[in-house]
Amino acid sequence: MKCEVYLEVLEEYLDGELGSEEQRQVNEHLITCASCAREFAALTAEQEIFARYDREIEVSPGAWSGIEARIVPVAETSYGWWMTIAATVILTIGLLSVFLLTPEKQTATRTPEKQIEPEQLFARFTEPKVEKKTRIKRTIKPGTPDNPGVLSSDVAYLDLDDQDTVNHFEQTQNLLRSIRNATVSEGDDEIDVSYDKALSQRLLNENVVLRRDAEMKAKFPTKTLLTDLEPLLIDIANLPDHARPEEVRAIKERVDKTEIVAALIEYRDRGTNNR
Amino acid sequence: MKRLTVDELNLEGQPGAFAGTLMNSSADLVTRVCQGDSEAFRLVFERYSRPVISFIFDMVNDRGLAEELTQETFVRAYRAMRTMRRETKLSTWLFGIARNVARESIRARIRANSHVDLGDKAVMDLSDDKPVPVEGLLSKELNDVIRRSLAALDEDKRLVFTLKVLHQCSYEEIAAITGFSIAKLKTDLHRARAEMRRRVSPYAGVGYEV
Repeated sequence: MKCEVYLEVLEEYLDGELGSEEQRQVNEHLITCASCAREFAALTAEQEIFARYDREIEVSPGAWSGIEARIVPVAETSYGWWMTIAATVILTIGLLSVFLLTPEKQTATRTPEKQIEPEQLFARFTEPKVEKKTRIKRTIKPGTPDNPGVLSSDVAYLDLDDQDTVNHFEQTQNLLRSIRNATVSEGDDEIDVSYDKALSQRLLNENVVLRRDAEMKAKFPTKTLLTDLEPLLIDIANLPDHARPEEVRAIKERVDKTEIVAALIEYRDRGTNNR
Repeated sequence: MKRLTVDELNLEGQPGAFAGTLMNSSADLVTRVCQGDSEAFRLVFERYSRPVISFIFDMVNDRGLAEELTQETFVRAYRAMRTMRRETKLSTWLFGIARNVARESIRARIRANSHVDLGDKAVMDLSDDKPVPVEGLLSKELNDVIRRSLAALDEDKRLVFTLKVLHQCSYEEIAAITGFSIAKLKTDLHRARAEMRRRVSPYAGVGYEV
């Protein structure tokens, strides 16, 4: 092997990440090659400098009390049980009254998706064309609660990873809806998708983390949905800041065809038990 | 070459760390915490608080904030410990939470300031134009150069560099903490090393000829 090949794996060798056979080969090469040995010595010296790095930071003596105050379970306090019972009774009465008195409200919250307003449908024909560069028009505000009338959201009962996933799906859904509802006219030279692109890059990173996590925790429906989202996020993230109409149209069509927005809504409505 | 794991090199035997006995192995502590033993969680905190605060400080470059985020990390860890998988290493799991907490804080600061400012205006002053000192700097000054150079790295590179070089995590552990693929973390690590070398080498003095 040539020196370049060894130099390429020198950092992995230093990190102890090479397999035993590769490690043996590098070992032997370093004995015979002065130039690579110098490189390795420099890397080792560098490592030693960073090993001496002292942040001069200590955990303050009061840190534990701060944590302890936040983690003492309510039930451990003298009035804890009474508080728990009272809260349960109040919650049960509240839920029952919501269920018995306002059934139509519940069905209303099941409506799967916001319909496109008629004026949106005709927007491309009626909007005066001011300039060639158009910006994707967003119809959904990020972070808008879906069911503001619901007494309490499932989110409150989810563990942290589930909350991250729910938030991620909500943001992704908003992004995809924004792309799907974008008005792309034949006359447009280019469309400014810089915001959507940046958002997609962020969501893509998040998606990869959550997918691995779902896989590790055997949450297969979640993992499948995250896997389905990834190619779309990649494509949006790879758009140029000013995309050609056909590029945006192609993604719009894919969002429609794959019915991914409906899948996200179905996931949200499914609740925490079947994820 | 034996690769030291994060537990071996960094976490156990730190000043203030609880002496590792069989009864107090990480797995035992986790089990006891899940059974509601808050004393066991105090031991978890004693054992892991220093590496966690160091890691968070590396990420946010702010002592006060690092302490605050360390507390948040342990509060979250306590609340979520029942969801931790048995095969997951406690240190890796805690670093994962710390990473999320630090990331949220960095994101919040980006939103608030519309740009990444790690609280140190001198960060960007570390350029190649600076005069190269004739002799090696005092360790305090070198520490300062390393701290500012770290803060100047972009977030992903800072994350993998910190975990690998400063905390000696394995690639596998880094992938579990960050969710990055091995290929991505290797690329980021290589670039981070090159960037750190470029910034630190002029200040490192004799014996560091890279």
